[in-house]
Amino acid sequence: MPRRTANTPPDDSQGPDGFDKLYRDHVDLLYRYAHRLCGEVEAAKDLVQETFLNAYRGFRGFRGDAQVSTWLYTIASRACMRMRRKRKGEPERELSLDEFVPTSEGEFRLQIPMEGLTPEEAFENKELREALDQAIQKLPKKYRMTLVLRDMEGLSAKEVGAIIGASERAVKSRLHRARLFVRRELSARGITQPGHGSETPSMRGSLT
Amino acid sequence: MKKARDSRTRRAGKMTPHPGHGPGHCLNILKQLSAYIDDELPSEICEELRRHLGACPNCEVFIASLRDTVTLCRHRPTPALSASDRAALRLNIIRASKSGSRR
Repeated sequence: MPRRTANTPPDDSQGPDGFDKLYRDHVDLLYRYAHRLCGEVEAAKDLVQETFLNAYRGFRGFRGDAQVSTWLYTIASRACMRMRRKRKGEPERELSLDEFVPTSEGEFRLQIPMEGLTPEEAFENKELREALDQAIQKLPKKYRMTLVLRDMEGLSAKEVGAIIGASERAVKSRLHRARLFVRRELSARGITQPGHGSETPSMRGSLT
Repeated sequence: MKKARDSRTRRAGKMTPHPGHGPGHCLNILKQLSAYIDDELPSEICEELRRHLGACPNCEVFIASLRDTVTLCRHRPTPALSASDRAALRLNIIRASKSGSRR
């Protein structure tokens, strides 16, 4: 039996009322996470469904040591790993710090087009929105998961480590590489701020 | 904040490489930038990094773009499930759990 704590889901999670509460309380959180991981609606729904099914079946093994949300993030992350593997079967690429060291002054200068703007104003630029989403989707999945959990879901490095089964140190290292990757993808696109004229030569194609 | 960005841009316009920028030095600075942004570094290392950033427009611009990246990630809105999607998904899950199959 799961140990009862304030974090433990209702005892009768296998019953309709227990499931409904678990679902009602966490479906929006899980969908948001799934959408950030998958980048599209149908895959996100599949992942949410898979997660709740696994949670439903695995509830008896939940000891209540973690928050319910952390437990569900863990199930979703594992399900995502399995789904992706089934779909692509690609080996995971490791990101090396060396590949992000700028080798020219132009690479240092690359900037994100949000000068003087709030993030909300910057996101009015469709090109920037799409570039960010594409950059996140291009990340190898273990880096993507780390970035999404830490920078988008706002969890601590310790919580992320518990979810993905990595040390805090490994989480920080992956997060840093993931951020450098996204920074390079965004800045190398040569996106300009609307109304700021054309891109500068230094923003064009310095990084590939 | 806007002032800082404007100053950054002006400096970026006439940037020259800082003498301390060997590949090894750059890598060392680069390794610590996320920890710096997240305020996780000991104060003496922070101070050392700040000194370097103040003297090196290249690194200053680089960290600004990394900070912008983190800001964008933190504020990227995501679509929410509609009420009808939420209800349909719930039904799918209940059906799948009863049949023991997955969609």
